[in-house]
Order: sequence, then structure tokens, then C-alpha cells
Amino acid sequence: MLKINNLNANIEDKSILKDFSLNINPGEVHAIMGPNGSGKSTLSNILSGKKGYEISGEVLFENKNLFELETEERAHKGIFLAFQYPLEIPGVNTNIFLKTSLNAIRKAKGEKELDAIEFLKLVKEKAKELKFDEEKLNRQLNVGFSGGEKKKNEILQMSMLSPKLSILDETDSGLDIDALKVVSDGVNTLRNKDNSFLIITHYQRLLDYIKPDFVHVLMNGKIIKSGGPELALELEKKGYENFN
Amino acid sequence: MTEKIKTDFEKTVKTSAFSEKDVALKEKYLNRFIENGFPSRKLENWKFSDLNQIIKKNIGELSFYNNDSLPNKVDTSIFVEGLEHNKIIFINGRVEKIDFTYEDQDKIKINDDFKFMDEFKNSNSLLSLNNAFANKCYKITLKKGYSMKKPLVIYHTTNEKIKSRNLNLRLEFELEQNSSLRLIDLFKDEAENNFVNIFYNFDLKEDAILKNYKIDKVINQNIRYSYNNIEQGKNSVSETFILSSGSNFSKNEINCNLKGEYSSAFINGIFSLNNEQHHEVRTIINHLIENTKSFQLIKSVLGKNSKSVYQGKIFVDSKAQKTDGYQLSKAILLDETSEFNAKPELEIYADDVKCSHGSASGSLDENSIFYLMSRGLNYQQSKELLINGYLLDVVEKITDSEIKNLIKSMVGISE
Repeated sequence: MLKINNLNANIEDKSILKDFSLNINPGEVHAIMGPNGSGKSTLSNILSGKKGYEISGEVLFENKNLFELETEERAHKGIFLAFQYPLEIPGVNTNIFLKTSLNAIRKAKGEKELDAIEFLKLVKEKAKELKFDEEKLNRQLNVGFSGGEKKKNEILQMSMLSPKLSILDETDSGLDIDALKVVSDGVNTLRNKDNSFLIITHYQRLLDYIKPDFVHVLMNGKIIKSGGPELALELEKKGYENFN
Repeated sequence: MTEKIKTDFEKTVKTSAFSEKDVALKEKYLNRFIENGFPSRKLENWKFSDLNQIIKKNIGELSFYNNDSLPNKVDTSIFVEGLEHNKIIFINGRVEKIDFTYEDQDKIKINDDFKFMDEFKNSNSLLSLNNAFANKCYKITLKKGYSMKKPLVIYHTTNEKIKSRNLNLRLEFELEQNSSLRLIDLFKDEAENNFVNIFYNFDLKEDAILKNYKIDKVINQNIRYSYNNIEQGKNSVSETFILSSGSNFSKNEINCNLKGEYSSAFINGIFSLNNEQHHEVRTIINHLIENTKSFQLIKSVLGKNSKSVYQGKIFVDSKAQKTDGYQLSKAILLDETSEFNAKPELEIYADDVKCSHGSASGSLDENSIFYLMSRGLNYQQSKELLINGYLLDVVEKITDSEIKNLIKSMVGISE
């Protein structure tokens, strides 16, 4: 599904990703773990199409060159990024935003757009599953939401849009244990033989709830080791500094 | 200009029914205008918008004569749909229709020979021009205790019969004790390159409420000046909302005198400009007695080569203790060629007051755009959603829900 070959990314002459390669097949869950500044967020930003990086190498999504697609086209094709710091958008109602987003993607896929009633039914159902306060859907997007609510809102959006590839950028940071469980449940519900996940995290904890197929250790812009879930446990024990 | 304006004045006098006394008075104003000319940047109030230059550049020679003896046909297709309302219709500066169908006729007095007030404080040569040429000044009085059942919409329309003309419009409103008026000014032009000069005077007695919504939305090449003088008695409230977007040049001035205790004034405005448009709002709030309040929120969204100006002055008299005055102006500049000028002024002579002002400008937040685009919205949709959201809180300040919804649909803002 996603093939990254020798990806290099610079920002203002600083090299962030160095010959980064990764292969994700349909249905797989990959976790990338790494210390601060190792290039985790850069990777997720580049995959979603954020501007401002100097890039070389190749990224293929379903055999299509990702770099030829605009940010919104990537979303239309089924790439979703759960932001590390979801933005507050004053004056934009959460429901309206969700509906606009969902219908933009449905339209691009050639599916019928949902009317207000169909949309509300769906969003209420999903909110309930995620124990997301329904009343918040009528508020301005993320404005005045707690850290945990913002993260839950990301997962709500993810489950509404049911993407093929979901990238979770430190979704676990700032979550309490209950919220962590809810968020993980959200991910696990979406998990099937077609959908893939790239989970970026500092900690092993999240991986207790979302069992990855592969764990990669990212340091200084490069994957230095790959393995199964046991790698995360080893990492947790040794710490990043003593790893290698 | 001098020869032209004198000839046009004589023509105007000839075709009108002014009394000798009126003519003498008007001549006095004409001479005063000729002496001062159009306001230019030499005047502090006009330093961001040199009207003299703007008229020269965009219109060239103005014609001041309007033959008001012939009626114009009213185009009913311009009427606001879905809102029952009373009407005053101006066509090419002439009052074509006054219609208060929805109101108790004995509660409203309409007087058409009202004599002009000599001068407003803080006004300018444009008032002299208006006094010299305005054909008729209607005065509308709302009787004590009467709240108008439906809003009054004033249609400011022009048709293709006129060009390079100066139009002078004038209205007086008196809101007697405990009366209330919802007034919508709607600008819709088919004529281009005219200079429209509008003066309103409002006299709000105790407990009176005025809500004035000015909607300049339809793109046109006219130059518009509008002055509201608002006198406020005890416990009265004035709310002014300005949507400044359609005209080539527009300047709205609001001069508000809070003379009665517990009176309050609210001014909220949106500039949404593009392509060489240049709009200004200037406000002066005079807190003249204890316990008065004012609030102002102005937001701009500025496209290529456009310019907005906000000059907001809060004056607090030495008697006006416990004044609460607030103003905030913000701008989003969508292009490096757009320009926003803010000049907040506080002039405070009392010591127990709460006054603040703020101003901020910047571009659209790229991170927010990325966030929205990562959810499948294209750049244009993301931009529009952000701008909508940015402007929404100004529209939300409108206290009348019926009119708020009307304006939301006109502006294209959704909740």
C-alpha cells in the first residue's frame, strides 16, 4: 500500500530524514518509535503533503507517486493524519467541518454526499462509540477542548472518514488511561485486512492496546532497527540512549 | 469645480420649490463648501483616505445638479425576500417611496419640511455640501413607547440614467422615550462613478433603542460617504453593524454622543475587500456622563490591492466616571499588496474608567489550512471556511436574530 524508498527530507539545510525506507502492506499496523527530534513528525507531515520541506526519494501510495498529489487529494485517496497538535479553528462549527470533510472525500470517490440527517445519524453513532461528548459537536472546532478531547476528535474524524492508511502522530501523548483505551478501541474497530496504520509514538504503552505487526526504531532520520512487538518492550527497558 | 458647482446650484434652485429663506441658507452652506472643498489628506481625519484625490482620480468632474421633479420607476425585484418590512426607497438620491404599512400610523410621524441642523460636532465640509444640495429632508419620529413591529429597510438605489453625479441624501430620526427602531440600509447600484453623500441624524430619548445595519455588498464603482450622528439619552442603546464590501470607495463615520447615564453604543463591522477597493470606518464615541458604555469590534479580510482603514476614537469627559469603553480591530491580509490601517485613540479626562483598545493583523494561518486540507477540503474551501469562521463572531454580535440570519445568508456565512 505504502512504499517509501530512500526518502530524504531537509528543512533549511538541516537534514531530517536520511535515506528512509519503509513498506506497509494492506492490513498491517506499523509502529515507529523514536526520541524527540528523530524525524517522526516530519515523516507524517510529508506523507500528508505539508509544504516547506526539501524532498528527494520516492513515496508510492497504491503505486501512485504521492508527491504528485496535493494534500486534499491524498485525503481523497485515503490517507489520514491524526495530528499531534490538532488545531483550534475559531468560528468553524465541528459538525459543519466534519460534514464538509466527509462529503468532500465521498464526492472525490464518486460516492453520494450525505444529507444533514444521514450525516447526523452517522456522527452521533461514532461519537457514542468513542464516548465523545455529543454537545461538543456543536462547538467551534477544537476551541476550548481539552488535550484529550482534541485527540479523541481526531479519532472521531478518522472513524468518520474510514481511511485506508491512518497515520497517528503521537496520538497517545496527553491522554489519560481511560482515553487511551477509547482511542485504541477506535483504531481497533477500523482495523481490517484492507486498512493500514502507521503509529508514531514515544512510548510502548499505546502498543499494549493496539498490537502492531511491526515496530521500527527511528533515530537521526533513519530506521536503525525493525522487529515485532517485542522490540518495543526492549526499547522501553533500555531507553533510546542505550539502544543499539 | 467652483464655476460648475455654482451653475449647478442655480439650476437646482430653479427647478425646486425652496423658499427664499431656504435658498439663502443653502447658499451659505454652498459658499462654506466652496471655501473648504472636498476633504483631503491635509486633515487628520482624512489622512488615510484623501477624498479629494479619490474623486478626481475615479470620477473627474462631478455634476451636482439633479432634476428631482420627475419620479423614477421602482423596481420591486430589489426588495428583500422572506422579511416583512417597511420601506424607504431612494432612487438616484430622490425619495421615491415611504411605506410604513406594517405600523400603527398614529405612532409614527413623517415630516418632510424639516430644517437642517446647523452643524454636528466633528463633521466636515461634506455636511455643508449635503445641506446645500439635499432636496428634501424627511424627519421620522417614533412616538413614546412605540416599538416598530417590522424593520425599516432603506433602499439606496441608482439607475443607469446618472453618471459622475453627486447625490446628497438626508434623513432625521427621533426616537421618543422607550421607542425602538430596526433600520437596515441596503445599497444597490446600477449607476457607476457617482459620489453619494449621506447624512443621518438620530436623536434617542430615554430608553430608546436603535439598531442600524448597513449592508454594502454589491460590487459597484461608486464612491460613498455616510455619516451617522447619534445623540443618546438616558438608558438608550444604539447598535450599528457595517458590512463594508461593495463600493469602490466607502467611508462610514459614526459619531455617538452618550449624553444620558447608562446609555450604551455598540459598533461592529466587517470589511471584505478586493481589487483596488478602499474602505474606511471612523468612529467617535463621546462618553459625556457617568456610567456609559461602548463596544466596538471591526474585522477586515483584505484581498489583492485592497485597503481598509479603521480610526476609532473614545473620548471620556471629566464628568464621565465609570465609563466602560472597548475597541478591537483585526485584519487578515490575503495578499502582500493588501493594506490595513488602524488608528485607535483614547482621550480620557476622568480617572475611574475602564477603557481598552487593541489591533492585530496577519495572514491566514497556513497550519490551519494544512489541517483542513488534510481532511479533504481543497485550498479554496479551506480558505473560505477559515474566513467565515474569522468573521462569524462579528455577525454573532448582531442582537436581532431575524436580521442576523438575513445578514448571514447575504454574506454567505453559515454557523
